[in-house]
Amino acid sequence: MRKFTTIFSHIKSTKMNFSVSLLHRSSPFCPNQPPHPNFKNLTWQNRDSLLLFPLLCSRHFASTTAQNPSTLNALQDHYQAIDFPGGAVQFIPEMRFISESPKERIPCYRVLDDNGQPILGHNFVQVSKEVAVKMYTDMVTLRSMDTIFYEAQRQGRISFYVTAIGEEAINVASAAALAMDDVVFPQYREAGVLLWRGFTLQEFANQLFSNIYDYGKGRQMPAHYGSKKHNYFTVASTIATQISHAVGAAYSLKMDKKDACAVTYFGDGGSSEGDFHAALNFAAVLEAPVIFICRNNGWAISTPISDQFRSDGVVVKGQAYGVRSIRVDGNDALAIYSAIQAARQMAITEERPILIEALTYRVGHHTTSDDSTKYRPANEIEWWRVARDPVVRFRKWIEKHGWWNDMAESELINNLRQQLLHTIQEAEGVEKPPLADSFSDVYDVAPSNLREQEQWLKEIVRKQPQEYPTNISV
Amino acid sequence: MASWLLGRSSRILIHQHHHLHKKYLPFLLGPFLNHNNSSCSSFPSTEPFRCRDAFPGKNSSPTLFRFSRHESTKAEAQLELEQDVATEDEPNQVIDFPGGKVGFTSEMRFISESPEKRVPCYRVLDDNGEIVKYSNYVQVSKEMGVKMYSDMVTLQTMDNIFYEVQRQGRISFYLTQMGEEAVNIASAAALAPDDIILPQYREPGVLLWRGFTLQQFVHQCFGNTHDFGKGRQMPIHYGSNQHNYFTVSSPIATQLPQAVGAAYSLKMDGKSACAVTFCGDGATSEGDFHAAMNFAAVMEAPVVFICRNNGWAISTPVEDQFRSDGIVVKGKAYGIWSIRVDGNDALAVYSAVHTAREIAIKEKRPVLIEALTYRVGHHSTSDDSTKYRGTDEIEYWKMARNPVNRFKRWVERNGWWSDKDELELRSSVRKQLMHAIQVAEKAQKPPLQDLFNDVYDQIPSNLQEQERLIRKTIEKHPKDYPSDVPL
Repeated sequence: MRKFTTIFSHIKSTKMNFSVSLLHRSSPFCPNQPPHPNFKNLTWQNRDSLLLFPLLCSRHFASTTAQNPSTLNALQDHYQAIDFPGGAVQFIPEMRFISESPKERIPCYRVLDDNGQPILGHNFVQVSKEVAVKMYTDMVTLRSMDTIFYEAQRQGRISFYVTAIGEEAINVASAAALAMDDVVFPQYREAGVLLWRGFTLQEFANQLFSNIYDYGKGRQMPAHYGSKKHNYFTVASTIATQISHAVGAAYSLKMDKKDACAVTYFGDGGSSEGDFHAALNFAAVLEAPVIFICRNNGWAISTPISDQFRSDGVVVKGQAYGVRSIRVDGNDALAIYSAIQAARQMAITEERPILIEALTYRVGHHTTSDDSTKYRPANEIEWWRVARDPVVRFRKWIEKHGWWNDMAESELINNLRQQLLHTIQEAEGVEKPPLADSFSDVYDVAPSNLREQEQWLKEIVRKQPQEYPTNISV
Repeated sequence: MASWLLGRSSRILIHQHHHLHKKYLPFLLGPFLNHNNSSCSSFPSTEPFRCRDAFPGKNSSPTLFRFSRHESTKAEAQLELEQDVATEDEPNQVIDFPGGKVGFTSEMRFISESPEKRVPCYRVLDDNGEIVKYSNYVQVSKEMGVKMYSDMVTLQTMDNIFYEVQRQGRISFYLTQMGEEAVNIASAAALAPDDIILPQYREPGVLLWRGFTLQQFVHQCFGNTHDFGKGRQMPIHYGSNQHNYFTVSSPIATQLPQAVGAAYSLKMDGKSACAVTFCGDGATSEGDFHAAMNFAAVMEAPVVFICRNNGWAISTPVEDQFRSDGIVVKGKAYGIWSIRVDGNDALAVYSAVHTAREIAIKEKRPVLIEALTYRVGHHSTSDDSTKYRGTDEIEYWKMARNPVNRFKRWVERNGWWSDKDELELRSSVRKQLMHAIQVAEKAQKPPLQDLFNDVYDQIPSNLQEQERLIRKTIEKHPKDYPSDVPL
């Protein structure tokens, strides 16, 4: 049975040892740390014994080895360790600054090469035929959605659209590795997760057209999807605000002893927001079962990552917060699937946050309001679109297994196109939400001032009906 | 190698092992052939050749590089990462994701949340005031050493007396530096007067070092008419334009991104100076810390971040503040050089700050210093710290680990200080402080008008009206208002 520990269950005595111990973590994989001596007993002998029991004990998930970098060299072993608050630390006589970044970047976990061939490795998670085919069909579906809905915006039929082109593997493979009870906090380029969970094409189109069937009642811009039924928190435009929300939700799942975690997505640009900082620190201190998935696609609108940060990407930020992290090839569906599945198990069983940086490239424009050829060359885009396509790579793999073929591909694409065009016609033909929906849900119960404002507006519409659209019921 | 390739603003280097196609050579080299070295010191608004212009094909992709290492200090080679995460795949298994080349690995391995052992702490003097073997520290002259020690004692005496004055209700609030005198004084000693200081609130020792008089400190604490801040802020919110010491404000960590902006301005102006900002361990949890560190790295700002990790943020111990190996490991997360220092060792602090300053100015980069120490005093006069930590713990740090005593042993061993000097100094400082308090206590408060001045540069009409209204009210009810505030 897992021992349940929270920070608040540790009552601090006014006579606590001056050695500030880390709270005991509940983990079957790690030996308990011995109590630390009171300062009065801190003799040379006891100081030496501190070295035998490192305070910051690394925990290992059974199927995954956590890397244990060490900053010590032989010289340091000769010098005493002393207990500053935060744990024992060794002294070093040499003034040496830690470099701003390593000479070589943290490597990127990859299972399939660009030809869809598995690279020799011993720890990637096997995927069944059924899951793999669904993964592939959802990736293709997501791409078809993007192609058609993008055109619908260009035709002025919807006001705005965001594509996930180039990032289909991150979307679908991460969703495949999760369970339905896991709560998802998206940014805005993760519609594939909702697709995997069963949101229908019609439901997507209803939101895009802001019609009466939109669960959001037409209140937000297109692509701001949400679904309570699918445990997919409604998208909000403000960047990175969802990251700390996910930590709170994860903490709640832990308190409720749910066998689930919170999962949140953000881009490389989102990692520069103060809320990113708040989220990772809270997650570590509160030991929240949350997975942070960063889609590092190289751009934040027109800002390249050389102007976003100067670290070795986002993966190195994990250790800055005491959060376990990994870098993954975001265009490799199997690598994403394996990493997320392992991260999920660690997060839930060990009650800890995990940070995943998925390296990828934003092939499409940032949004329909952006022309990305203004700040990056077309041949760079084409290179990623053609040579590094995540959908094509995964297709090669499932074809080699005999799980897919050209005929299945043609059927799928034709079906999708027909379905999508049909959903657009359906969504476009439906009336908009009623006027009353502009005033409801601000609070649970509408206060008198809002009811009064609603009455004023209705009165104005009744007096000048020709000034207002006819497909909104009053 | 051509020197123009070494400029910090030129982030392109053509890797020798990659053969470029001839047709790309003129385009790649063109912008740099005309590159002016002197312009490297200014941040170009538009780069002549963006590293983003990658071309299809692995071998023709430029590689991001950065040179410039400070000669006198080796940056640690990150042995831990190279050893443990070196790619096992073939050398050609690298791909150019945005951000530079990255190797692949077929093994799924998560980076541990913290290293097996903590980053070591740089120390020069042991607890007995002896120089540690093999220490590479910056020498301190006798004059400098004696002034450092004298200011540490002065700071300690100020704290003892002002604390009591608050207990007597003569000032409303006070905050001591007990246990952190070395961080205060030694860092100030390592800086130049042109360096701009953006403090948190527990760094008046820096201002003391720069020449702020005891009388000036007392004026601010009493909020009288001689206070440069015109009595508008709580006690200990010191500031001095003359001493390049930005006025303290209460919101935590707000000064950090401000320091980055000031540093960027110094760089644009070509000044041989840097910005230096202080914060506690608690401040590192604020979003502004994150913004400051990232902006400093991306803008290549000459700023030194000094974090006083004293183990506590009021009643919050560091294990409830973060779960990393302190603050020093956060440097790498932003691409910033960092070092951990024994904050109770004046020589270690002096050496690290001295070197960090040189690195920041010469290489136009931020540097992060984590000074490990302990907050011996209460958080402030509004706090009773025995409510959340044991008195024996406090006593241990006060007696056995005292930074002032440690440094005293060193200056005494050098023959620069004696018991007689000690008695004279303490007695003299005490008298000066008593006198300063008497003078400050008798001085008038600032005039009423100062409540309305300086909101803007010019007083707008609505504020003028408000001033007239309050004056009328005082005329009607003079007994309800204090008599020591001139109208």
